Amino acid sequence: MTDLFSQLAAWLTSAGQWAGPEGIAQRLLEHVEYSLLSTLVAALIALPIGLFIGHTGRGAFLAINLSGFGRALPTVGIVTLVFLVSGLSMTPVYISLVALAIPAIVTNTYAGMAAVEADAKDAARGMGMTGLQSLWRVEIPLAAPLIMTGVRLATVQVIATATIAAYVSFGGLGRYIFDGLAQRDLTQVLGGAVLVAALAVAVDLILAGIHRILFRHRLT
Amino acid sequence: MNPRNFVAGALALAVLPVLAACGGGTTSLNTPPSATGSAAAAPDSTMVIGTANFSENQILGYLYADVLEAAGVKTTVKPNLGSREIIVPALQNGDIDLLPEYQGNLLLHFDPKATASDSDALQQALTAKLPQGLTILPPSAAEDADVFTVTKETATKYGLSTLADLAKHNGKLVFGGPPEVKTRQVGMVGLKDVYGVEFKGFKSLDASGPLVKGALKSGGIDMGNLFSTDVDIAKNGWVVLADPKHLIPAQRVVPLIRTDKATDTVKTALAKLNTALTTEELSKLDSLVDNDHKDPDEVATEWVKAHGLSS
Repeated sequence: MTDLFSQLAAWLTSAGQWAGPEGIAQRLLEHVEYSLLSTLVAALIALPIGLFIGHTGRGAFLAINLSGFGRALPTVGIVTLVFLVSGLSMTPVYISLVALAIPAIVTNTYAGMAAVEADAKDAARGMGMTGLQSLWRVEIPLAAPLIMTGVRLATVQVIATATIAAYVSFGGLGRYIFDGLAQRDLTQVLGGAVLVAALAVAVDLILAGIHRILFRHRLT
Repeated sequence: MNPRNFVAGALALAVLPVLAACGGGTTSLNTPPSATGSAAAAPDSTMVIGTANFSENQILGYLYADVLEAAGVKTTVKPNLGSREIIVPALQNGDIDLLPEYQGNLLLHFDPKATASDSDALQQALTAKLPQGLTILPPSAAEDADVFTVTKETATKYGLSTLADLAKHNGKLVFGGPPEVKTRQVGMVGLKDVYGVEFKGFKSLDASGPLVKGALKSGGIDMGNLFSTDVDIAKNGWVVLADPKHLIPAQRVVPLIRTDKATDTVKTALAKLNTALTTEELSKLDSLVDNDHKDPDEVATEWVKAHGLSS
């Protein structure tokens, strides 16, 4: 075990391991690129849906259940299925990662909107705000912390799952896990796993920091 | 609770068991595998059959199980364990007892510089090279070799009929196969050593499965590492590149077993199966699973029944 840890330490700290087109720096960059793009696209799709059902209260049952269904979809299954149609491209990876991120953002956005007190909305109406004004000035600001939590959850899930890109020959930190497993190079597998975990934790801490700064005046 | 402390605590809690699990698992795989030292790991009489991560190997595992059960041996099948690099050490450690293997690649696993290429020479070399505690039984008539395959269009475009032709197009073609092919002799390493072939790139996909075949079909890769028993090769009119320098050794199916489990009953049962199983039959079985999406376990059981091996 100590042997393995010293091998792991050597693997992680060797300069040669970090440089070059197959080095850790490049893999890390690819991983961040896949994750960021997927979360961004997912947010663009999921936020309007969550806001709409939260604001109008319509379609909540359908959307929440569809989200639950989305969470249950096996990512590897989606990747293989889309791959057979799209061929060798990043499309299957992006589709499955976006599908993974949407449910967390939709449900949290909806939950945030649903938690806005009816009194606050009534007050907004009473002040003469239109529905849209009430949404932008009252409901979204009040729901923002929960919405942000949803985005954070989704981001961490996507980072952990973006290793799937390596399954269909692409890069990212999953490359080390898939190659290491097939070639029985356990140091490489563990190195990849540690890097993915470290990246997920680091990004979550950064988002937590942003969360704090944004909502520091809140009581909740 | 202070959120910062909470985060730190949760992290520590989450990470510890993961590390412990990794450490535990890897130490057992990491210690130099000694087949003799850990015989105590499998004290009961059940024969644990492991299989690699592709459908044909799983079918073979279930075939072994069915004929052994018919001979009165209790069996458990652990399908889809991984590549040879994973499962052979598991066999040496006593986690599993029996594996359906392939002569040539198995020999190269133990002796990367081995040159034996016909079945008899391979059987001899394997007997000499196998670590203590492991035995190979006589091979089946069925063979399944790695084949390097291109589409008809690619073959025509680049004038490819043998592996030697690939060297004329060094740096132009993309090769796809499972990740282990990148570091194996029957793969990137041997293609460079024996034929002087260099590729534009390597795409890590799966072992003669939907990914590598899909990529070959759609042009994502130019050449794919498939298995000779794969019926999709003929179905798609793909071209298998000839191997004039014998990079790819004979690959007859052969049972690799822990010596202490190779009783006469077991040997007789597997020998009967090996006589009945031909390349053509194996190919048919593969197709039932890969193309008709039947369950490998059921396919094997039906085949064993149909060939009178179930009693």
